[in-house]
Amino acid sequence: MIKNYFKIAFRNLWNNKLFSLIKISSLAIGLSVSFVIGLMVYYDFTFDKFHPDKDYIYRVTTEFVTPEGSFYNPGVSFPLGDALKQNSASLAAVAPFLTTYPLHIKNTVTDKTFKNPDYVIYADKGFFNVFKYRWLAGSKESALESPNQLVLSEKRAKKYFPNTNYTDIIGAHMVYNDTINMQVTGVVANFTERTDIVFEEFISLKTAHQSDMTSAVLSSNWNGTNSASQLFIKTSKNANAKNVQLALNKLAKEHKDPNEAEFGNERKFYMQPLQKMHFDTNYYTFDFDSELASKSVLISLGCVALFLLLLGSINFINLNTAQATQRAKEIGVRKTLGGSKKQLIYQFLGETFLLTTCAAIVSIVLSFWLLNIFSDYIPAGLSSELFAEPTVIIFVVLLLLAVTFLSGFYPAVVLSHFKPIAVLKNQIIATNDKTSLRKYLTVFQFIIAQVFIIATLLVGKQISFLLQKDMGFKTEAIASVRAPWFAMTPEKQQRLLTKIKAIPEVNKVSLAEYPPASFSTSATNTSYFDDTNAPVHTELQLLYGDKNYLDIYGIELLAGRKQNNDSITEYVINQTYMRMLGFKKPEDALGKIIKADGEQNPIVGVMKDFNQRSLKTAIKPLAFVGTGGANSSFKTFHISFANVNGENLPVTTKKLESAWNEVYTDEPFELVFMDNTIKRFYSQERKTALLLNWATGLAIVISCLGLLGLVVYTTERRTKEIGIRKVLGASLLELNVLLSKEFLSLVLIAFIIAAPIAYFGIDYWLQDFAHKTKLSWWIFAVSGVIMLLIAMLIMGVRTYISSTKNPIKSLRTE
Amino acid sequence: MLLELNNIYKWVQSGGQKIFLLKDINLKVEEGEFISIMGPSGSGKSTLLNIIGMLDVFNEGEYNFLDEPVHSLKEKHRSNLYKQYIGFVFQAYHLLDELTVYENLEMPLLYKKYSSSERKALVADMLDKFNIVGKQNLFPSQLSGGQQQLVGIARALISSPKLILADEPTGNLNSKQGEEIMEIFKELNKDGVTIVQVTHSEKNATYGSRTINLLDGRKI
Ligand SMILES: Nc1ncnc2c1ncn2[C@@H]1O[C@H](COP(=O)(O)OP(=O)(O)OP(=O)(O)O)[C@@H](O)[C@H]1O
Ligand SMILES: [Mg+2]
Repeated sequence: MIKNYFKIAFRNLWNNKLFSLIKISSLAIGLSVSFVIGLMVYYDFTFDKFHPDKDYIYRVTTEFVTPEGSFYNPGVSFPLGDALKQNSASLAAVAPFLTTYPLHIKNTVTDKTFKNPDYVIYADKGFFNVFKYRWLAGSKESALESPNQLVLSEKRAKKYFPNTNYTDIIGAHMVYNDTINMQVTGVVANFTERTDIVFEEFISLKTAHQSDMTSAVLSSNWNGTNSASQLFIKTSKNANAKNVQLALNKLAKEHKDPNEAEFGNERKFYMQPLQKMHFDTNYYTFDFDSELASKSVLISLGCVALFLLLLGSINFINLNTAQATQRAKEIGVRKTLGGSKKQLIYQFLGETFLLTTCAAIVSIVLSFWLLNIFSDYIPAGLSSELFAEPTVIIFVVLLLLAVTFLSGFYPAVVLSHFKPIAVLKNQIIATNDKTSLRKYLTVFQFIIAQVFIIATLLVGKQISFLLQKDMGFKTEAIASVRAPWFAMTPEKQQRLLTKIKAIPEVNKVSLAEYPPASFSTSATNTSYFDDTNAPVHTELQLLYGDKNYLDIYGIELLAGRKQNNDSITEYVINQTYMRMLGFKKPEDALGKIIKADGEQNPIVGVMKDFNQRSLKTAIKPLAFVGTGGANSSFKTFHISFANVNGENLPVTTKKLESAWNEVYTDEPFELVFMDNTIKRFYSQERKTALLLNWATGLAIVISCLGLLGLVVYTTERRTKEIGIRKVLGASLLELNVLLSKEFLSLVLIAFIIAAPIAYFGIDYWLQDFAHKTKLSWWIFAVSGVIMLLIAMLIMGVRTYISSTKNPIKSLRTE
Repeated sequence: MLLELNNIYKWVQSGGQKIFLLKDINLKVEEGEFISIMGPSGSGKSTLLNIIGMLDVFNEGEYNFLDEPVHSLKEKHRSNLYKQYIGFVFQAYHLLDELTVYENLEMPLLYKKYSSSERKALVADMLDKFNIVGKQNLFPSQLSGGQQQLVGIARALISSPKLILADEPTGNLNSKQGEEIMEIFKELNKDGVTIVQVTHSEKNATYGSRTINLLDGRKI
């Protein structure tokens, strides 16, 4: 029986090649997108699921609640770890640790040096009590007991000691940064499952007192919070996590900073469950290379996948019910020969499943290709190997069954309800009542395609608007290059400065910290007291740079002057801060005193506002501090070019690079152009745009395939009518209009429904931006026209083919 | 007695008016009979045949098939009944174009509980009986009309029904092919199969043991 079903199913597919192709390809598109997105979702939702005590592990982090909102720091003040160890009743393990970034590590046995080892932490036994590692050499109990002990991961052990037994590594000496002498006391196996616990080298915490972390540990008190000093805890199985939180609250209260309290700021300790770490955007994970997974992005991706899958299924339903008349005979015959309704439904579902499976095979190939295209979106650890995981296989099978049911059930029921008597009477079954459903589904398809088109155009418009909008300072022909802190000496600094100045294409050079707009900011709490009004407490962003800085970036002074000398701190504030202090005219702010960190800083100038970050955020109060009173140890060279264009830019860059290499022989030369930085502000938006482009393209392709199928079907059904009309002298255009009217009205209805949906959707998306592009009406008009043109093109092609056929022939065959 | 129709009426509603397709039909068919139904076009022959074949329903009257009251049977029971006892032969053959001759013959067996070896034997038997062994792997479109109708009859006979219903089985064939088909029916009838055929041809009607004439849905 089954064999017979498959035989007839296969022959049916083969005899209706065009329709089968349309059905398979539209499903394949939907499925491959679902596979890829499904993998992404699966990947991100299966982090750290393998720890035996995963539900009892927390990272303790810090939340600062201030009148301006909350700020988050993944670190905690260092003494918290010890304090928690004291009340250990409800805690099974406490693991304070410090993240660190050594410059290099030397294997004293082979005398080989390895640069910039990553994922290095200072930790103690507690860490291995929280996380269960498999010990390949050494033991948890003693490995990190004393200073200068080092535990390596299997991977690192292989890298530093190739071809050596793990037990033979024990006792070997490694030196960090030329000064810290370590002895290897253990090797642990890397976690093989997906994890955010990515550490590779563990230095005993007691070593921190004599290393580069000295300051972090020794000068640490309850008031300082360094993101390098973090803390994992594991609660006892019988303890209530709420009580642990209460204990943390109590500690936060006992050790609160009176100065902060004065500003209305409060510190809270937050227990971040290990299971939430992967998605928590307030605190980062430890792998800075990969972007944090975002639940909202995954959800919108899921919606895209669902929509595309729906579109594919709709093609299926539409074409299958359209084809029903062709199959009426088969159904009638089968019924008179004893086939029951149920058997027929199974048969048609089986056919759908066969098609779906074909589509699935095609889509697995497609997914590999998509994985490539979306590589920007896809975490590095996600590979097609995930396809082999049992959960994924089960998911794929379930998805196929669901799609089969979704797209096959309705047509199967419709087909199986045909009465055999109709066939015996040689009647063609009138399917008028079925066409209305087909129309709804087609309209639905076009709505989705139309919404995607409008959204793509509007998101594109917003991005180009952001990129073109004036930031308030000069962004073109300006670049900066940053020297590493350890390689920086005033002597080298000046030498490089002279060399850069000597390059003819260089207009001006400034030694400073960050550019006016960047990903890094420094800020301080300030207060302004005036005689009549209430004091103004606020966070003030600080910008450091020498005398040339404001000139290079073309930032205009509205009143006052720049800093005169390097020995005292003077503020040049922006308009936003000026207004916040209550001044209308820039001149009025001059000479006023701002209190910050116990110092009195006079305002000597007011500069024009500019955006310090992307245009998503509003302008914040800011002061240009000059060199900040100290002899500058700035590390960034800001360079503005003169007469540089696309042609001589590479030459100029080369000149800069050779100047750099003469001074910093070992350090890489990384020139960052201001306009590129600004582009990077919008990387998330550009990813959204890329995604939308693809979703739109695919949605259009699927809808068009469906439309093509329906048009082919209708024209086939109306071949006779076309023939008669042609004989009677209708022109090609008139025929086109005749055939297109029905479908064009569907496109129109879809547009009317899609436009408001897209409008509100984009309006919602734009709420995140401080600066918004206009939702111009012409965008809607253009996208409507695009859809219309695509639809007409498809119908035109088809009509052209069918109407150029000899009309007499078509009459004869009908 | 094989079947019995008592006072069968069938009508359709059209514009608030009843249009009668069959009026007061009474008919008894014994096992082994060969009946021809005749009448002008539109007189209700096909309608009657379909009612006998349980593919169509009627509005009034009684229908007993092998002492089972068809009019009050559930759909499922009824379809089991005709699955088991009735075979259809159509004017337009109605072979499935996607299946070969062999597969077309095998299909009715698939809907009944036959093992695959039984099916093989039965199909081989039929191919043999109708002399179409050489055509078993061809598709219907590769056969002549007469050959297609042969396959159609073979398919109707394969699960050895008691009753064969044939609606103008020779309507699409030339007279020589038609004669061949009628000869086959005669042979079958000799072997004990009951046959009810609809025909327009007086000559074909003479193959039957009895003729029923219809006019405007009424037996005359
Ligand atoms: N569903 C229906 N609705 C209305 N009228 C119907 C319906 N089915 C059949 N009829 C009418 O019933 C009458 C009998 O039809 P039937 O098909 O039984 O005729 P027939 O004797 O087989 O004719 P022919 O020799 O042309 O095949 C015809 O007039 C037909 O138009
Ligand atoms: Mg008829």
